[in-house]
Amino acid sequence: MKKNSKKEIKEALKKWEDEVLNPRVKKFNLDKSPTTFYTPISSDSSYFMDKVGFPGQFPFTAGNNPFEFWRAYANFAAKVGYRSDWGGTGRSGKYGGFGTPADYRDYLLKMQSMGRYGGPNIAFDLVTQCGYDSDSSFAEGEVGRVGVAVDSMQDFTVIYEAFTGNLDIDKVPSNFTINAPAAVLIAMYACLAKRRGIPLNKLTGTPQNDILKEFIARGTYIYPPAPSMRMFRDTCVFCCKHMPEFNINSIGGYHIREAGATRVQDLAFSMANGIAYIEAGLEGGLEVDEFAPAFTFNAFGGSMEIYHEIAFQRAARRVWARILRDRFHAKDSKSMQIRQPITAHIGCSSTTLQRPLNNLARAVVGGMAAGMSGGIPGAFPPFDEPLGLGHSQEATQLQQDASRIMIYEAKVTDVCDPWAGSYFMESLTDEIEKDALAELEKIEKMGGAVAAIENGYMPRAVAKSAYERQKKIENQEELVVGVNCFTGEHEIDVSINRVVEATYDPQLMKTAEERQKANLARLKRERNGTAVVSSLRSLKVQAEDKDKNLMPIICECVENDATLQEICDVLREVFGEAQPMKL
Amino acid sequence: MGQDSKIRVLIAKPGLDGHERGAHVVAYGLRDEGFEVIYTGLRQTPEQIVSAAVQEDVDVIGLSILSGAHLSLTKKVMEGLKAKGANDVLVTVGGIIPEEDKKTLEEMGVAGVFTSGSKIKDIAALIRTKLGKNA
Amino acid sequence: MEEKLALMIEAARKSNERALAKLISHVEDRKPGWKDIMKAIYAETGRTCVIGVTGSPGAGKSSLVGEFAKQLGDMGYTIGIIAVDPSSPFSGGAVLGDRIRMRDISTYKNIFIRSMATRGMLGGLCQAARDVVRIMDFAGRDIVIIETVGVGQDEIEVVSASDYVVLVTYPGGGDSVQAIKAGVMEIADIFVVNKCDRGGADVIVSEISAMLDLSTETTEEIPPVIKVSAFTKEGIDKLMEILSEFIQKKNEGSHYQKEHIRQEVMSILETEMVTLIKEKISSNGNMEKELKLILSGKSDPYSVADELIKRFAVIKNPKQKRKGDFQ
Repeated sequence: MKKNSKKEIKEALKKWEDEVLNPRVKKFNLDKSPTTFYTPISSDSSYFMDKVGFPGQFPFTAGNNPFEFWRAYANFAAKVGYRSDWGGTGRSGKYGGFGTPADYRDYLLKMQSMGRYGGPNIAFDLVTQCGYDSDSSFAEGEVGRVGVAVDSMQDFTVIYEAFTGNLDIDKVPSNFTINAPAAVLIAMYACLAKRRGIPLNKLTGTPQNDILKEFIARGTYIYPPAPSMRMFRDTCVFCCKHMPEFNINSIGGYHIREAGATRVQDLAFSMANGIAYIEAGLEGGLEVDEFAPAFTFNAFGGSMEIYHEIAFQRAARRVWARILRDRFHAKDSKSMQIRQPITAHIGCSSTTLQRPLNNLARAVVGGMAAGMSGGIPGAFPPFDEPLGLGHSQEATQLQQDASRIMIYEAKVTDVCDPWAGSYFMESLTDEIEKDALAELEKIEKMGGAVAAIENGYMPRAVAKSAYERQKKIENQEELVVGVNCFTGEHEIDVSINRVVEATYDPQLMKTAEERQKANLARLKRERNGTAVVSSLRSLKVQAEDKDKNLMPIICECVENDATLQEICDVLREVFGEAQPMKL
Repeated sequence: MGQDSKIRVLIAKPGLDGHERGAHVVAYGLRDEGFEVIYTGLRQTPEQIVSAAVQEDVDVIGLSILSGAHLSLTKKVMEGLKAKGANDVLVTVGGIIPEEDKKTLEEMGVAGVFTSGSKIKDIAALIRTKLGKNA
Repeated sequence: MEEKLALMIEAARKSNERALAKLISHVEDRKPGWKDIMKAIYAETGRTCVIGVTGSPGAGKSSLVGEFAKQLGDMGYTIGIIAVDPSSPFSGGAVLGDRIRMRDISTYKNIFIRSMATRGMLGGLCQAARDVVRIMDFAGRDIVIIETVGVGQDEIEVVSASDYVVLVTYPGGGDSVQAIKAGVMEIADIFVVNKCDRGGADVIVSEISAMLDLSTETTEEIPPVIKVSAFTKEGIDKLMEILSEFIQKKNEGSHYQKEHIRQEVMSILETEMVTLIKEKISSNGNMEKELKLILSGKSDPYSVADELIKRFAVIKNPKQKRKGDFQ
């Protein structure tokens, strides 16, 4: 055997193309080969330390750690039958919420009796997410539907009646999928701790608190982008100073990609948003290493393209690490890491309504991508995702089993960054990184994420990409099994029996609005009206002063039983309301 | 029919649901089918939708709802149209609609229900057929 | 006239929203009888004050229109808004999104909003918009606001047919002042620098003022240049004051009136002529014969155009009329 120089490989490649590849392409009458092959000249491995590095070291391409926390206990967990939500929703409990606070509390207690522990991972209804109360005209038909209704501190307290003793809030983390009114929910959490005599520095958990992606993708915004960032700054400083174990946010490219963004847009826009949040923390007077380690990422988007999603995760870690080190001069390696509960996955938009059990096969592909790029191989989402709202327990069981099969039987996670050094994977990682950085630069030139939202660039780019994707599916440039191919009469429309009862009691869902309105009316009757009015007045005065941190006064409002909407209305008055995006 | 006649469609998102992907894709798609699409953006009340449909004299309303509130919201829109004497306007619904709700919607008078995986071409074809227009 | 149309007109006269909307569609689509509608209502129009609003994309025109329509509505005026957006040159379809920015007023009883696509009509947009204004006028709208993006010649013509033109620009719009120079500058009755809460507005104000100083004859009145923010409401009062003056002046009778009618007749004529010539050409073999002559070097486009005009147009004596002639 002899060592090859680059020149030799280049020549050999040319020769191979001429003598082997091209004749074959010609033989089958193709325009180009349906496959690609990579060689040492596709990627330069001499920059190993800069581009890949070791797991747990800069630039974290190979992973945040040689092995993650969960991996250390994986075998033990299997033997004792510990039912975690690995790869489903991260380390905290199952994401959920519905009905009135009492409905959800009772549901949580029932789950606990079935062996599901872990802190609450709360989904709020759209009314709450948009800063309204259950008695608002906007609330009609929406109360308790996609999450639990929370109008006041009292409601919040009721949910947490399910978390006491061994599951008290100094022992389990809480996740809140809340963005525009995140400050109010964080204040409620702090207030709850105070009432229970728990020091704030014992609190753990994560609020989503990622308002920028709401403008790009998810739509539950309240105030315009600039004052929304002021609210972020205030929560960032408050959490950093008083709740050091509590994460500040959960930045999501996931929603951006699900809304139609391409992989490159997902990465670029998430990074642009991340930069804006870091800048907000700095503007609040913090040092980067004080608060950046408390940033988390929810998840980036996903797709069925397994190689690309692996490369994407690698590129994302490298890009963020470099931004933090080179641009913000972070010293702490924790500041440079992308911490996320879900890594690679297929994304809910890859699931199909047609022959839905196929979604399990699809989810496994996503899980493999995760397992091979430093994450938990979660088979997310459950196969019944596109059927309607709520996952059946049957689908959730299969999702978890798929994950376990990948971990224990396929041993997918026994190697760190197994693709490191692959000519192909390194070159793909470089390519995604390069394209994302070019897109990021475009946004920077506009003035950053806030400017690129105000001028409509990011949301419009996502809408256009969504449409491009739709066109590709309609003209069969992209193939989706059971949707635009293999739909002939000989295919069997595999049906599924969802014998497992619906997650939430439909009867309770139906009556939730009425019952919650009654709860709210009672609260408004019984609370100390003078205290409410006076704290809301102070809130208004302080909101008008841009330099003031609003968290202490919001805590006061919450403690005095001011409602979520009352607080948000005061801020609406001062900040104005965000305008919906024009296509 | 005049030479310049166009099919006019109102794409609307009632309620608080903020997922606009479907609405955007359908708006762009129907534009490319030659329709005039009026997009009213997020968080529209049924009253706003009905009022826009009447003023814009649209042939079709496409409601996009992913929050699960499709039954009550659609019902309100249908009632609003009736109250304004505009019940000849076709109403279609898109989003996450469970199979059993499809029937209920159709019984309310909804002309078509489109869930994930639907093609723009099919949506356009259904509208053209129901309206008897080739524009 | 068809009875159905007559009933529609009757209902629109009583401000019935649905009849008004249907009447607009009928005329906009140029459905049979559209001209009869216009003839029937003409005598009862001319009362409304038409305000054209134009400016570069992203200037926040819709939000601004929404804001001042709301205020005018609160003063008790009935208002019609026509929001014009371009049609896709490829499919002929359009996405019309200006209503998004007028959410607050979308259910106001005295405000009627209508989105309109340009539909690629040569000069025709202008007339179609005029027709819609007139129908709204007939249906009792005190004020009609036409909003367009001031980029194409068509859009400029549309606003130039209004009694007053508001030109909207904003800081941070790149070369926004440069972009509005051509054509629109001359017809603006007021310059509004929107989004003044963002900073940089003063620079734009002085740029515009300087440009106006250079281009305006000393005898003419220099149009006002004001800063507003549709968001913080700064400067809105001043804008309302000026608009109220406009509306007042319009009620006293417009000196543009005769000129506007002249323009309108010309515009109708132009559109009709073009339509007729196109019809003639397509019913006469699509110029295939003539094109062959040009391609074979036996003729040229200029001679062919001359020849066709002779054939289609001016007929001095109707008796000499031949098949295929313009009639």
